[in-house]
Amino acid sequence: MTRIKYLIIFLFTLFFLFSSPVQAENKVNVYFFWGDGCPHCAKEKELLEYYQHKYSYVEVLDFELYNNFSNSKTLSSVTSILGTRVDGVPFTVIGDKSFSGYSETISPDQISERIEYCYNNNCPDSLAKLFEPESNNIVADNVIEEQTASNSNKIKDKKFINVPGLGEIDAVNFSLPLITIVMGVLDGFNPCALWTLLFLISLLLGMENKKKMWVLGSAFIIASASVYFLFMAAWLNFILFIGFIIWARLLIGGIAFLGGSYNLKEFLFNKNSGCKVTNDEKRQKVFTRLKQIIQQKSFWISFVGIILLAFAVNLVELVCSAGLPAVYTQILALNDLAGWQYYAYILLYIFFFMIDDLFIFFVAMTTLKMTGISTKYSRYSKLIGGVIMLIIGILLIFKPEWLMFG
Amino acid sequence: MRVLKFGAVWCSGCLIMKPRWKEVEEENPWLQTEYHDFDNEKEIVEKYQIDNTLPTFIFLDKNDKEFLRLNGEVSKGELLKVLNDNKNR
Repeated sequence: MTRIKYLIIFLFTLFFLFSSPVQAENKVNVYFFWGDGCPHCAKEKELLEYYQHKYSYVEVLDFELYNNFSNSKTLSSVTSILGTRVDGVPFTVIGDKSFSGYSETISPDQISERIEYCYNNNCPDSLAKLFEPESNNIVADNVIEEQTASNSNKIKDKKFINVPGLGEIDAVNFSLPLITIVMGVLDGFNPCALWTLLFLISLLLGMENKKKMWVLGSAFIIASASVYFLFMAAWLNFILFIGFIIWARLLIGGIAFLGGSYNLKEFLFNKNSGCKVTNDEKRQKVFTRLKQIIQQKSFWISFVGIILLAFAVNLVELVCSAGLPAVYTQILALNDLAGWQYYAYILLYIFFFMIDDLFIFFVAMTTLKMTGISTKYSRYSKLIGGVIMLIIGILLIFKPEWLMFG
Repeated sequence: MRVLKFGAVWCSGCLIMKPRWKEVEEENPWLQTEYHDFDNEKEIVEKYQIDNTLPTFIFLDKNDKEFLRLNGEVSKGELLKVLNDNKNR
């Protein structure tokens, strides 16, 4: 009997020694480093909040980096411990494995698999020591600081300015539309995009069929706007896709800085207000094509021809914009907007970009006389555009959070 | 005095200068001016070496010798001053 008693105690001890009674209470810490306004971070944050709510064993420790310097210092310690490099946010650590960036198609599966794996296998938590009770003050401090930052952000988010005649305006909600309009107008004064339209109008004015004149001219303008829209939408998606990589933002910041410097140089050293004669051969080719298209007897051949030509010319002329649309889409990407809002802002930008073209076209079509827009405006747009591009370039590199309006 | 005006249909600044010149010409009927299209009149364009900026205005004296060249958009006041200062050339 005594032997049986000892055997039971032995088996009991053995069972509890090798079984994992804590498994049911096994906690999986998810260390989440993110930036306020970063759209990829927002998506991952949503996912992690869902996991935390769904699984009681998941604890998310989140560290906002843009508004909280101490969290940046924590991230430096984390990278030293992990022996890895962080190229951008979001940056997530689960157990002893880190995830850089976020992709809607890959990350949710990877993260949930990792959480499940760590829960079942009690994987080592590489950052546990950093956040152990004795160093727990880091987390506690962060929570307090984040709370403070969040509160100050809430105050910052509601900045009202009093504009005579318009009343109180929320500066935060007002900033993105304003920058959209200003950058669109400045981009529109770029003379590169105008020469084809002016030549086309000169041909259209010689037509007898006024209806055809309106349709062909409108087709050219709509096709030109569409090329710009497609380019900007593609660029925006590219930026949103690689947006978590810091160097992409720095590169675009560099482009903005160089573009701004070039515009300022042009304003200061090229005081001549005329039209520069460049690419004589290319221009002649485009003009010959335009003449052939307009002179077609078939309306549909002219219609399709003019759309194709608008696509071709505008794609080439995009280079001429000194990176304004690329810089603008980077600003859009920094702001956490709904999908349709991104495209609505691009449309607003394009409307103001095309406003001078629309003015010239409608005046010419209604008065049957050609009109131009003074090249002096183009020169001053270089000054204003140059200054804005320089500021945006510097902000993109050093203070991207200042460009996150909403 | 004769003024050669070089412009192009695609040049916004040239379109701005057209009505300005029209006013100047109406106010100074003695003035002889000629308009040359940059794309279609290559011979005279090359003769006067117009290859950088449009519009370009070349002022010729009685002996057809160039004494002034203006580029880009020029104000009406500036044009009138040039004409008055050089009326007897």
